[in-house]
Amino acid sequence: MLEFMDYVQSAFYAGSRWNTDNSYASLTAATTNLLDFRTPHGVRLHVSSLSSPNFATSYTLGNKGVVDGSFSFLFSNLGVKVASRSSAVYLGHLVRGYRHLQELRKPEDASAWETVVDEKVVQKRDALLYGRMYLPGSTLEALYLRRLSPSRLLSIRAVSGAQLPHGGTLLAQLQNDQGKYTTEYLCSTDSALLGFRGLYNFGYDPRDENSQLDSSAPAHPWDHKSGRLSVGAEAYFSPMNKSGGLSTGLRFTTLPVHTGIPYTMTLTLNPLMGNLSSSYAVKAGSDLSLCTRFDFNVYSYESDVTIGLELWRRESSTAWARKMLRSAWRNAPRPAGESTFVSSDFVMKQQDATGVIKARMSAAGKASLLWEGRVKELLVSVGAGFDMKSATRALGSVGLEVSYSS
Amino acid sequence: MAFNFNWSPLIADTERVRAMLTTALNKSPKPPIIVDDILVNELNLGPTPPDLEILEIGDLAEDRFRGIFKMSYTGDAYLTLKTRVQANPLNTYLSTKPSFASPQPLAASSGLTIPLQITLSDIRLSGFVILVFSKQKGVTLVFRNDPIESLKVSSTFDAIPFVREYLQRTIENQLRVLFMEDLPAIIHKLSLRMFNPEYQALEDIRSQAAEAVQPRVDPFVDSSAEAVGGERTPADGDVTETYASFSQKNLLRLAALSESQRTLSLFTPGIRDTVYRAWATTADRGQGMSGYSTPNPRIATLSRLNSSFDRSATLSSTASITSGTGSHITRPSLVSNASAPTTYALGSGRPRPHAQRKRKHRVVNLRKTAVENDASDAVSQSSGYDDSASASGSRRSKETSKSITDPSNHLPSALREGEVCTPPRSPKKIVGFTTDKADGLASSSTPSRRPITPLHKVIQPPEDDDPTPRASMVLPAKENEKRPQRQHLPRMQTLPSRPKGELYRSHSEVKLPDLSNAFNEGSTGGILEQAWMMKMASEIARRVAEEKSGGERWRRTSEGGASAGGDAPPAYAS
Repeated sequence: MLEFMDYVQSAFYAGSRWNTDNSYASLTAATTNLLDFRTPHGVRLHVSSLSSPNFATSYTLGNKGVVDGSFSFLFSNLGVKVASRSSAVYLGHLVRGYRHLQELRKPEDASAWETVVDEKVVQKRDALLYGRMYLPGSTLEALYLRRLSPSRLLSIRAVSGAQLPHGGTLLAQLQNDQGKYTTEYLCSTDSALLGFRGLYNFGYDPRDENSQLDSSAPAHPWDHKSGRLSVGAEAYFSPMNKSGGLSTGLRFTTLPVHTGIPYTMTLTLNPLMGNLSSSYAVKAGSDLSLCTRFDFNVYSYESDVTIGLELWRRESSTAWARKMLRSAWRNAPRPAGESTFVSSDFVMKQQDATGVIKARMSAAGKASLLWEGRVKELLVSVGAGFDMKSATRALGSVGLEVSYSS
Repeated sequence: MAFNFNWSPLIADTERVRAMLTTALNKSPKPPIIVDDILVNELNLGPTPPDLEILEIGDLAEDRFRGIFKMSYTGDAYLTLKTRVQANPLNTYLSTKPSFASPQPLAASSGLTIPLQITLSDIRLSGFVILVFSKQKGVTLVFRNDPIESLKVSSTFDAIPFVREYLQRTIENQLRVLFMEDLPAIIHKLSLRMFNPEYQALEDIRSQAAEAVQPRVDPFVDSSAEAVGGERTPADGDVTETYASFSQKNLLRLAALSESQRTLSLFTPGIRDTVYRAWATTADRGQGMSGYSTPNPRIATLSRLNSSFDRSATLSSTASITSGTGSHITRPSLVSNASAPTTYALGSGRPRPHAQRKRKHRVVNLRKTAVENDASDAVSQSSGYDDSASASGSRRSKETSKSITDPSNHLPSALREGEVCTPPRSPKKIVGFTTDKADGLASSSTPSRRPITPLHKVIQPPEDDDPTPRASMVLPAKENEKRPQRQHLPRMQTLPSRPKGELYRSHSEVKLPDLSNAFNEGSTGGILEQAWMMKMASEIARRVAEEKSGGERWRRTSEGGASAGGDAPPAYAS
């Protein structure tokens, strides 16, 4: 479950029409959501408020140590218009599950950003400021997001803490999204780490006026017309300690035009370390998603298999009506460009859920169970981690998180 | 001042050290590159002990010690560690950073763990060690500087120079921390376990609860168990003592010894392989005096001698020395008494030659292995002196002594042997004060005495290192005062004997027969005669010393011998 501030940030991305899925960093988002979900640890209480569309506050109290907590503030010059009350928040937006990728979208014209204020042309540039103070550790997190242009996003993240080397670290990131491809440049003050990420999408180019998105039904389930193939790579290098990293990735995912079962396949490879990871995630039904991932290292022969599922529980008053719909209508492809948000986060396709169960288990003996849902006015997350191989600590961690927002 | 630094038990008991090292290495937060527990796979301290040089001793008592040593180690110890390391530098780099500001790479930080085996060898240490020992607080050992001079690190990745250099650097740094911080803690813990019974009891209870009772071979553990239980068969004790380690058991014995000084208890526990130099010097004093003491104590001493011979036959000379010293300690006030039965006294105090014969007999058995040539040389010299001495003495005694010495010429050597060896810890053989009894014993053993081959202290190196006796001769008057006491308790104690310098022994060899003859007469004759005999004896001794210093056999010790010859006579003449 997203924390409230992450929820507001994702709303900011959506409101600013920034596609977070079109990035190499989120190449395996579907798999990550299904297999690498975070289970709560200990008891934690969140109280949040979106007092105005531009300003949000959040307070957290936990039991790590004696008592710990944090308070955070967020300001955005773009009015975030999302439901903020915990009783009204669409659970599908808070809990990330299988990720339906939307069609690529051409970057906006710069002229669309220009508004005339007092007879002067002013470009609106959405920005977001976020700060979080952890107590009693006195660690400060800060985030600055700014849309430099319709195709550019600058984000600066900083952490300041006494226990950190040099008192803190700062990461600057410039993302360039051209739809067909995206590039990212990273720079960290910590040992001067430099990074580059790139993603290229085959097939449909949204910038090309002539190319038309093929909306015809695919001939067979493996017809690549209904899906998208993406390749990407990332590279990091630190000139100070002369170390680096490299990885490449491949993804094929079905698009909304696909009439069959949505699925996502990814393959990532780390050629330096010999790490090979392949995953297959499938949305088996409207409320069920399954995922498997196989990790293998060609140098050390270490391998692992992880399987996971998520199950949504919905109780909607219109369920009876939906059952009466013809199946062809239910899965009818929607015309392109219909959705108001480019991001899949805020696309409401069905009734809100009351709860979701996530589970994962790996061949190494690690298992996790998580339930997240709405109880009265509160959002509750209960989870536990198990370690089957260790007899002494079979029950690794148990946690409960309760959130309230207004 | 000398310390016995026993290296062998350390070599034998690496199991516990390994376990402790393992826990110490895993206790502190490990660098993120190490993703598994560090296992000490192999530990070999090697046969070469480190060289220790005493720089300063600040405090010295039976239950505490403080000193500074200069240590240098060039042995062939080696240590093998096993663990798993993270080979991806990005992974280790990111694991230490806050996730909020991390680039969060997709797969570039995926881990690659590699089993790693590191061997540390060619360890060269040199540094100043501060050692503080307290019975209550255990041993504290601190390195005043960084002791590591050089070290060779060989690992699985030796083929990659970059990794090799990195490992070398990292491990050297870690080892420095280990030596400066962890090692003192380990040693302290170990010492607490050994010396502090309460701590041991706690530990034992803990360990018993944790693990089922299993046979323990480890000497440290054994001693600890004994300390807690308080009961133990002597056989077990001997087994553990084979390692002359500084165990709880030994400490308890030391404590018992020092306690016994304050009581009148006749039993004193003996400690093997221990040399009390301070007591040895007092024993010398006693010896110096013994020649003039009354006959009674001498008889007693004679019996001591015999017993000591027995002892020497079975045990090493050091062992016998130890037992003798143990008896000394029990009665500090009676030191002179205990020392009275020295070899010098023996010969002179014995009224009859039979006792000598008996002694000789024992010697013969002992010394079969001795080189005959050496013995014969020494004997020939000594025999001549015997004659002269006997001439001065009464005829009868002279004849007897001659009859004893002439055939094999070993009498002096026998006496010498007696002086060196000490009797067992408790007086097993008690000879009656009556001379008859002694005679009977002696006569029974006479026949076998003849064929004896001589023995020479020269051959035995361990007893020759102590040049102390000279100092002891300074205080004859005191000995006289103490002498009356000696008569009360002579038998209870074992003979104190202490190692003597070769030179000195050579003197004694010569003197003993003379003195014995003289005193044989002296006991029958008047005081004047006795005094005269003393003078003669001293002269003879001097002459012998001179001769020996000139002789090839004694050349090695001639310088010392000359000085000894000069000094020795006054001690006896007074």
